[in-house]
Amino acid sequence: MRALWLAGMVLFASASLAAQGVMVAPHAVFIDHSRGSGSVLLYNPGTEPVEVSISTIFGYPTTDSSGNIRLNTIENPDSTVPSALAWVQAFPRRLTVAPKERQTVRLLARPPVGLGDGEYWLRLVIAAQAGTVPITGVSDTTAIQVGLKLEVRTIIGVNYRKGAVMTGVALSNLRAQVVGDSVITRAKLERRGNAAFIGMIRETIVDSTGAVRAQRMGDSLITSYQSPIGVYFTMEPRLASAIPVPGLPRGRYWLRYEVVAEREDLDPKVVLKAPAVRDSVRLVVP
Amino acid sequence: MKKILLLVACLGLPGRLTAQSGATISADAVVVTAGMTIATLRDLNFGTVIKGVPATVLPTAATAGAWQVTGSSNAFVIVSFTLPTQLTNIQALPGSAMPISFGGVSAIWRRATNSPVGGTIFNPATGAVGRFGPPPNPTMYLWLGGTVSPALTAKPGIYQGTVIVSLVYQ
Repeated sequence: MRALWLAGMVLFASASLAAQGVMVAPHAVFIDHSRGSGSVLLYNPGTEPVEVSISTIFGYPTTDSSGNIRLNTIENPDSTVPSALAWVQAFPRRLTVAPKERQTVRLLARPPVGLGDGEYWLRLVIAAQAGTVPITGVSDTTAIQVGLKLEVRTIIGVNYRKGAVMTGVALSNLRAQVVGDSVITRAKLERRGNAAFIGMIRETIVDSTGAVRAQRMGDSLITSYQSPIGVYFTMEPRLASAIPVPGLPRGRYWLRYEVVAEREDLDPKVVLKAPAVRDSVRLVVP
Repeated sequence: MKKILLLVACLGLPGRLTAQSGATISADAVVVTAGMTIATLRDLNFGTVIKGVPATVLPTAATAGAWQVTGSSNAFVIVSFTLPTQLTNIQALPGSAMPISFGGVSAIWRRATNSPVGGTIFNPATGAVGRFGPPPNPTMYLWLGGTVSPALTAKPGIYQGTVIVSLVYQ
């Protein structure tokens, strides 16, 4: 089933990419200390060559005061953060990917002697010129023509693991409310251990009889709303799930909130195991 | 092994792949399917503008820039833009430029549906957290508008700038 889904995804991507761009895969790289290297594949599904440049930065996802997830970048990370920026390098730095071809970017780690056990992070920036606005009427020199070139930067995480790495997450301050046709939740998530917590948040609405109430995702009804999450330090994400029409009847419900170390979009071998954490909160529909 | 063959067949990968080791093939097959890509559906096009008259393209307009991002189902992706403030005339002498600006409602993102009406409006200068659609449609669409302000003294020619879209997986 998973193979069919993956194949379908490839076909979908292949079919829909008549325009410019480069596929970057995977969208997260995990390097083990014993191997000391990793790789990223670039695939050009288009009909024109794509020029790509590679760079690295240090950053990690966090949330702002409204619960929106953003990337916190630090230009010169010091010893207070587990940065691998200074000793993981990407090769080549510039390349051209021909149409329907793929190329590999290698990541080579040269960690300092005496590096302690744990997980160290950086972000890989893959920048591709994704197209140029076609300018018409170039021969008309009396006119003013305006066009914009587009550059796309795909930024993926690189996690370097040495020795014993462990992770976990603590859940607190869960709250939920119904706003319009959505259930809005926020909760404080604090990472435990010495590695980022990569997992999923699951939310389930249960009525007073214990029956699970459906939520909506697109045109489908689901029994549990799921959202991928990466907790690097502390975050308080705001999630919004949709309630199917005509909405929840007036009454009291429970929102069950669960954070699990599972990710469908990543190889299970790289997702660190950790105990699930759960909480529930009363949800009132006035 | 079945999965590997199926995926390789679907992709039509170059022949050199088959010369690699089994382990490498397996890894590459998984790698390709878990990728993220962006395709330009439509360029942001101001067309021909008039000296002294600002020209605005709304993100819902037929001339707005439009992009389709394909990634992992339901995954969140942080979307940010690096925007120009001036466009440079590439035909005139150096120093000939035109201001360009983007407002709080100049961008829209939407899951799975290729229509800006009903999408989430955001300020491209501050960015947003978008989300890919659920299976079988793991896509997200972006639209971008803006305003150019040609001066009365603007020289004829082609004015160009670069917009950078950054997509960050969690």
